[in-house]
Amino acid sequence: MTANLRVGGIVLPSARVKIISQEELHQDNENPLESPLPFIVRPSAMSTLEDQPPQAVQLEALTVMKTIKHCAARHPATATGFLVGMDNNGTLEVTNCFPFPIVDVPAEAQFEQQHFNSAAAAPRAKANAAYQAEMIRMQKEVGVDANNVGWYTSANLGDFVNSNFIENQYYYQKELNERTIALVHDISRSSQGALSMRAFRLSPQFMTAYKENKFTTEALLKSGLKYSEILVELPIRLHNAHNVTTFLNQIPSLLSKGEITPPTSVHSIESNPSIARDELGPNFDKLALNIDPFLQQTCDNLLDSVETHHVESNNFSYYSRALGREQQKIQQWQAKRKAENAARAISKQPPLPEDEWQKLFKLPTEPSRLESMLNSRQVEQYAKQVDGFVAGTSGKMFAVRGNLLPGEAGSSVE
Amino acid sequence: MVELDSSLHLSRPLGPAAGYQTSTTPLTVVIQPQALFSILDHSSRRPPDQHRVIGTLLGTRSDTDDSSVTIHSAFAVGHTETTDQVEVDMEYQKAMLALHMRANPKEVLVGWYATSSELNTFSALIQNHYSSQGEGTYPYPAVHLTVASEAGKDVEVRAYISSAVGVTPERAADSAAFIPVPHSIAYDAADVSAIDSLGGARDAENRTTNILTDIETLEQSLVSTIDMLDRVSKYVEGVIEEEVEPSTALGQYLLNTLALAPKVEPTDIERNFNEHIQDVLTVSYLANMVRTQMDLSNRLATSTLTMGGGPVGGTDNNKEGGDRKQNRGPRQNRGESISAV
Repeated sequence: MTANLRVGGIVLPSARVKIISQEELHQDNENPLESPLPFIVRPSAMSTLEDQPPQAVQLEALTVMKTIKHCAARHPATATGFLVGMDNNGTLEVTNCFPFPIVDVPAEAQFEQQHFNSAAAAPRAKANAAYQAEMIRMQKEVGVDANNVGWYTSANLGDFVNSNFIENQYYYQKELNERTIALVHDISRSSQGALSMRAFRLSPQFMTAYKENKFTTEALLKSGLKYSEILVELPIRLHNAHNVTTFLNQIPSLLSKGEITPPTSVHSIESNPSIARDELGPNFDKLALNIDPFLQQTCDNLLDSVETHHVESNNFSYYSRALGREQQKIQQWQAKRKAENAARAISKQPPLPEDEWQKLFKLPTEPSRLESMLNSRQVEQYAKQVDGFVAGTSGKMFAVRGNLLPGEAGSSVE
Repeated sequence: MVELDSSLHLSRPLGPAAGYQTSTTPLTVVIQPQALFSILDHSSRRPPDQHRVIGTLLGTRSDTDDSSVTIHSAFAVGHTETTDQVEVDMEYQKAMLALHMRANPKEVLVGWYATSSELNTFSALIQNHYSSQGEGTYPYPAVHLTVASEAGKDVEVRAYISSAVGVTPERAADSAAFIPVPHSIAYDAADVSAIDSLGGARDAENRTTNILTDIETLEQSLVSTIDMLDRVSKYVEGVIEEEVEPSTALGQYLLNTLALAPKVEPTDIERNFNEHIQDVLTVSYLANMVRTQMDLSNRLATSTLTMGGGPVGGTDNNKEGGDRKQNRGPRQNRGESISAV
């Protein structure tokens, strides 16, 4: 019997029947946190062959261009839209994307308490489902045979892991099918030179847990869901159609055709239109050292996350204190009842029922841990970003230092 | 010689009521790359029996003097062409336009595109339709864009506006003089990085490429910079060996460039460098520490207890509360190690 109690988490007075079945599961596995979920049926196990989750994503050039254009145009507000494409042997091919209609919130409404980010919630709004269906139907009339395969959103230095994101993706994976992804385009990181596009799905474990919507401690213990397992990232490949490839090859056309006559003065070099106007010439942005804005933004984001974390943990401490107090009261009441019953037994009166406490005392409900899980996942995201940034930047900084210091390998400023 | 597209500026054709337009400055067309990609995509998807496909262009006009039209996006419109007649699905176009306006309220109809360079009577017919009153672009001229993408040849983009040219009154509806206007493709910073990434697929067999991480793009930039420096140094060596024609302009330009490196005191360099690298490393350390703390706090919150399994929450939650307080501590004292259990 001690073994049973050991495995369970918080054992509430209302007895949990499930503890016994947990014992059977954990017989061969010491650490309950690592245990698999055999009694929670995974969606993929019961789905047909067509519902296999995609393993990789292939984006057409058109999708990339339209997505970044829309996100850049709406910056710094969130921009959302939906993706169309098809599933091809486990690779989800996204051929096109369209933005969602925007609803301009009038200035007064923004001060109301109920103001919520309509763009961020757009993917799951009912009106937009009709918009999507209409758009896809129109596309079919011009010969584009594609289905809805997900949605995209813009992000700013990785701050996309929030409840809107999760709800949107959940809506897509539930309503449509498992073959939907969320595409995240990070605007600020792309402006530093490298395109940043990532594709995510919700993991099956998370989908199950979210369906029940019980993120209490025992539920988490049972499922062993960790915050790092909420999202599954899919690798992305970029694909160009033939005429797009032709077009890309001819873009730096001004300099690749013909010869330039030798310049006769410095001024003519600098003002030569084929050099000055060549926007697609070699791009040196990636070599630029631009650390302060990134660091500032990251610190701000981290502070926000830490604050959220504290709010959540305060909630939880408050709950546990309230729980403790209630249980103390219950015990006191129970003791009193027992004493009364003993007294009654002596005076030969019928004993009073002992389980009235269930009607008299209401135990506080445990707050959901979903927010703090999302928050932790967000912090993990920030930490990974910072690592990537530091790797590149410290290299560049050492290079600049080596170049500026006189007498170091090979450079001379005289 | 390096060729730039030349164009002839004719006075912009005015609408019938000349009072609407106060200027006759030439019209320039700025195309955004996403519109172009849409058109290329449509032309690659056209049904095999159709020689060309058409669609609508949406965009904005410049506020001040309407002399520049920016094309933001495009969508396809179904049409059929036989030798005698052409049918354009205008219902579809209206419906699609309405859908599009919901998502981008600022864009208006500015013209139409076709995926072959030829201009024939059908083009004139469609052009007149698009310039007409009511649903057309009246009183502004409709822009006609031709994007020709034939196998083996370059993609040719041409922009035109039209004016009515009268032969006989009966043929007025399907005659138009197409006047080429200068066009350019405008790339933003975001577009440039996307095109760089897409360009990586240029040489691949199946025209696909992965998205590169920051480090990989940095490596690529460095490699290409070193490559360019090699070329310059070969040229300079050639000049020294007297194998290549020297050019004072180029020499001067190179000297100017090299002189751009700032001359800073070594102590200043060291100090700045140290400060900056410290900043960067501090933030990295902080981020990782916050991550570790959260990880710990999550594990502690949902961990099982091997002692004091008895009455519920009391002891167990005190322990968690204590740990969280300790989590707060290290955040304020940066350098200290984690003091949790």
